[in-house]
Amino acid sequence: MLGNYRGVIALLIVFVLGCFYTPVARDTGLPIFLSWRTQLDILFEYCEYGLLATGMTLVILSGGIDLSVSSVLGFSATLFALLTIGYGWGIAPAVAAVVVCGLVAGLVNGVLAARFRIQPFVATLAMMTAARGAAKLVSGGIKVQPAAQPWYRLTEDTPEFFRWMTTAVPGIGMQPATILFLICILIMAVIVKKSSYGRKLYAIGGNEEAARLAGIPVARVKLQTYALCSMFAALAGIVNCCRQDIGDPEAGFTFELDAIAATVIGGTALTGGRGGMMFTLIGVLIMAYINKILSLNAVAIDRRMIIQAVIIVVAVLIQRQKRG
Amino acid sequence: MRRLAVAVPVLALVLAGCQAKKAASPPDGKPRTEAGKKYVIGMSQCNRGEPWRVQMDTDIEEAAKAHPEFTVLFKDAQNKSEMQQSHVREFIQQKVDAIIISPKEARPLTKPVAEAYDAGIPVIVLDRKIEGDKYTCFIGADNVKIGREAGKYLVELLGGKGEIVELKGLMTSTPGQERHNGFMEGIAGSNIKIIFDADCQWLEPNAQREMKSALSRFPKIDAVYAHNDPSAHGAYLAARQEGKGREKTIKFIGIDALPHEGVRYVKDGLLTATFQYPTGGKEAIETVLKILKGETVEKTITLGTRIFTADTVASGGKEL
Repeated sequence: MLGNYRGVIALLIVFVLGCFYTPVARDTGLPIFLSWRTQLDILFEYCEYGLLATGMTLVILSGGIDLSVSSVLGFSATLFALLTIGYGWGIAPAVAAVVVCGLVAGLVNGVLAARFRIQPFVATLAMMTAARGAAKLVSGGIKVQPAAQPWYRLTEDTPEFFRWMTTAVPGIGMQPATILFLICILIMAVIVKKSSYGRKLYAIGGNEEAARLAGIPVARVKLQTYALCSMFAALAGIVNCCRQDIGDPEAGFTFELDAIAATVIGGTALTGGRGGMMFTLIGVLIMAYINKILSLNAVAIDRRMIIQAVIIVVAVLIQRQKRG
Repeated sequence: MRRLAVAVPVLALVLAGCQAKKAASPPDGKPRTEAGKKYVIGMSQCNRGEPWRVQMDTDIEEAAKAHPEFTVLFKDAQNKSEMQQSHVREFIQQKVDAIIISPKEARPLTKPVAEAYDAGIPVIVLDRKIEGDKYTCFIGADNVKIGREAGKYLVELLGGKGEIVELKGLMTSTPGQERHNGFMEGIAGSNIKIIFDADCQWLEPNAQREMKSALSRFPKIDAVYAHNDPSAHGAYLAARQEGKGREKTIKFIGIDALPHEGVRYVKDGLLTATFQYPTGGKEAIETVLKILKGETVEKTITLGTRIFTADTVASGGKEL
């Protein structure tokens, strides 16, 4: 597919230019951008956005949007920290509880959007506000960390799991958090491409009325889609908690915009029905590389924001061209 | 269209390149030992969206100007801890001579800063602490003290009794909690009552809105204690908009005292007083200089505060 190549070519160009515009290490004189460490860091630093974008792609393919992922991330990070640090839960039950909460948040989104026919933008906007409030509520308005409350069981340190998730696995060089993101997006890529769920998703996004008439259970597919999206947001929340070593009720603020941007830059149409998971992977990588290059070179925020804006506009322009 | 897809990253990188030439050229291949020592300092700011933090960068820039051998690389984490973690990692890879960091959050940055410290790079931590002791020097002001001074000042100003409004900063943040706790210490034992309070998250529009509620609920308000100057200013505007002239009778107290913000408001007679929350930017550069010279520095440097009132504003405030 031409669209695929287009994304890959853009990514390659970004990469090549990154090789040229890079500061060098002051002792060895080697370009920092090209170091293996930096390359792995790029993936690691973007894996939360990547997880959000994975879910976001599903929702956008169905013709919807999910603004609540940022807050679900914040809520999940807070809850995960609270369960493990505050109540001394094991990692497995804590992960399960957080994922279930994510699914519930997504189901609520789905019910509002599919059954009550509230526009997804509005329904998930409400969830965005509610989940952020819930995050502050469960934590009592503080950041959850060891010794934040006198009655916290594990007061000395955060669980070993936090460090494990964010420390490179020897031999592979990647952090489990990064691997989690890659596994999630690859599995979803296969599901979206091969399964009947994927086909229904495209059908609904392409023409919801036609899909309904063709006997596709639109509401159920949408429910599944929003649930999956929030579940990935919950996973991103767990990653965020491990990375920050803290459960921050404010975590993830405005991340939904980056997730949408990565999806759109990859080439998935906001109108639904066109695009795919591998596009999003490319979109995430393009965003991650550009950010890293700008950061490595200490580009000031003013320029950086303008550059990012230009990239988003152009990505949308390219998308529109393809439709014709 | 494919050209466009190519053009954007090119444009991005050309822009980036221009910047890189300006800011990052000294590290390019020139070893430190070459004629006249050149030093590169990495500065990671957590959020340049806040005027106080822009002031910190400005203070650092000004102080560094006096030392032409210093090049400071400014990075802005846009209020994201993960971005700040990568700043530190990038500085380590680049082998800068010193890192100055004003962390968004203690715990997330403890590990990266420790890595830099272990790699032999001096790290100056500004304003917000990190955990443990793997950093070279912490420079910060004392929010509890500032809150306490504000409380004591208000007790004196109101003659020991009155009904006041407290417009808080983001209460999930330590400065918000400390400015509140200090203030409570300051007014302890007096007959000052907080009749209305709200978490304004440091934001002026929020403060304005909350103050409107307070004004409509309470016919008598003696003073407003705001956790930052923009909130105090928002409260002032709310009182003025009410149209009963209450902005002239209510005393508005703020914190931070930035030159173009709180200090100007006091000069213009909008605020009764503002308490400086110093950025420590100048002290950070002085400390880096000492470290590079091989002198030992204190592990913790606590900055004082200054009060600016109508009487003292012209002379640069009064040290407390």
